[in-house]
Amino acid sequence: MASTPWTYWPFRIVVTVATVLLIDQPVYAGQFLSGTFSALHTHRENATAAGIAVLVAAITAIPIRWPGRGPLWPMLASIGLFALIGGQIALGFLRLLTIHIPLGVTIIVLAVLLSVWAWRPHPPRPEPTVTQPERQEAVR
Amino acid sequence: MTGFDRRTLLKLAVATGVGAGIGIPLMSGVGGSSSTGTVLRSQLPLPEPFTQPLTIPPVLTPVRTEADADHYELVQRAATVEILPGVPTRIWGYNGIFPGPTIVSRSGRTTVVRHRNTLPVPVVAHLHGGHTPGSSDGYPTDLILPPGSSQPMTMPGMPGMVDPRAVVTVGERTYTYPLRQPAATLWYHDHRMGFTGASVWRGLAGFHLVHGDEEDALPLPRGDRDLPLLIADRAFASDGSLRYPSVDASLRETAGVTATYSGGVLGDVILVNGTPWPVAEVPAVRHRLRLLNASNARRYRLALDPPPPGGGGLVQIGSDGGLLAGPRSHDAIEIAPAERFDVIVDFGRYAPGQEVTLVNQFGAGSTTVVLRFRITRRETDDTRVPATLPTVPPLDPAKAAVTRTMLFSDHGGSMGWQINGRPYSPGYANANPRLGTVEVWRLISDFHHPIHLHLVHFQVLSRGLSGPGEYDGGWKDTLDLRPAEEAAVIARFDDYAGRFVFHCHNLEHEDMAMMANFETR
Repeated sequence: MASTPWTYWPFRIVVTVATVLLIDQPVYAGQFLSGTFSALHTHRENATAAGIAVLVAAITAIPIRWPGRGPLWPMLASIGLFALIGGQIALGFLRLLTIHIPLGVTIIVLAVLLSVWAWRPHPPRPEPTVTQPERQEAVR
Repeated sequence: MTGFDRRTLLKLAVATGVGAGIGIPLMSGVGGSSSTGTVLRSQLPLPEPFTQPLTIPPVLTPVRTEADADHYELVQRAATVEILPGVPTRIWGYNGIFPGPTIVSRSGRTTVVRHRNTLPVPVVAHLHGGHTPGSSDGYPTDLILPPGSSQPMTMPGMPGMVDPRAVVTVGERTYTYPLRQPAATLWYHDHRMGFTGASVWRGLAGFHLVHGDEEDALPLPRGDRDLPLLIADRAFASDGSLRYPSVDASLRETAGVTATYSGGVLGDVILVNGTPWPVAEVPAVRHRLRLLNASNARRYRLALDPPPPGGGGLVQIGSDGGLLAGPRSHDAIEIAPAERFDVIVDFGRYAPGQEVTLVNQFGAGSTTVVLRFRITRRETDDTRVPATLPTVPPLDPAKAAVTRTMLFSDHGGSMGWQINGRPYSPGYANANPRLGTVEVWRLISDFHHPIHLHLVHFQVLSRGLSGPGEYDGGWKDTLDLRPAEEAAVIARFDDYAGRFVFHCHNLEHEDMAMMANFETR
């Protein structure tokens, strides 16, 4: 099997970092609820870091499409995830925990799915040349 | 039907199932809970609200007035009273009434109260909000045993547990309150280890007001325009008795309530000064309402319905420990168990003949209303709300000698409400503050926990990552700590060396071990 092209690597690394930061969020929340006050502050700071990481992930998803000719949706998914994190931060400040906690779980599930997809093998797309039969099909 | 249709149908069914499986629990509980507890329903038909008049508890007359102190006597006894119309109810009351008689003291003048216990159980009287030496603070094991009792070797409910420091008396006990503190709305209630919830539920609670020169100089409403309002929820059994889910009906051996109600007991009848949903006729002038939440576990969000034109109908002038630095207008006030809010309501903003209801926006069904005012006529009103009230000097966290963390959380079981992972034990002090020093305490909760510190009044520095809340102004002795919340409070520990408790004032939590000691030196 052909190896995954370089265009996936920036996204693989950044989305993994973002996912780890996101999984750290319930870790800090749990510590806060166990009485460690400073963990609430860390929970807020880490939320900002995770949001930035997801935004960077969206940027690193661009080469997957251009020049990689891979899918565009990872970039759109990262932007969507960033929007959810923005809402999540607002809900946290409003102490609307009945939504904050399930949305947090949802965000982590989506981030994990995105990471798993990033690390799956992505064989390089063949060059789009006119000599290829399917291309000829397409232009006819 | 084609395979494609079947697949689509299957996908649709799965999507609907997943959506409902997540959406229904999510949306049904999205509002959270305004109180931690379980509603105990009355087994009698409930009376029509606003049919019985509001009463004000009688002011207790001193038995003796000396140069330096006023002496009072109270008898704790069982009595049969009529709370629901036509239904006799057995209560425990100070002088046989609920609420007990109001004691009115002067700031800085010693009040001495001799309590006689004629009840079938031991009692402890605590002056809530009093800056009181430990010997008169009503420590939970400083029991007044029923007359004729012999001294017990172990603590009731705690086989084998002995508090060697307990000062137990038989039949009576004299409490001395120096009251070196500002004018404030205080209250007194039972505080016996393991059985406070049941005893207060039966009626052992009353007002203790402190008046002072500084406050008297202000043009605030007084006399019959100064209304102490003790708000408490209760449930009634089919025989008319007060229904309460004690594990031990004798209230002598096993502490606490049955598992269903271990989060807290919420009643379905709202009593104001012992009357269900009363109505009060008031002239269209300013009144001072001294709101006290004497409920075991219920939190209220009190508002005027209709609000006066322009809103801000509840003008808060005082908190637990006395007057605020300046008045604060609220459309609603969130009040947790044991908290007090002194508010001025100007009924002159309403028309004579109008009816104004004090509603509970946290309530459901019968608990959504509390009290109704019927505006009678215009009268001259020489009162006003001063723009500034006596100063409340802010305590400086930079000068705090120590910062402590107290975690209030559930560990399950009958002793499961704990502080820093320990159930209450008279022999263990979580803190040893030095007299004259200022300390910051970080209080952290899992559920709703109204946190009460004896001896001191504190100021709220912050809630979570923000400043104090809307209802945190002034000197507090009880903090409405909400689920998964941290709040920092600052207090000066002063004057009296000794052992004091701090605890959750959800009385079921308190009885089931959410209490601890601090010992001042």
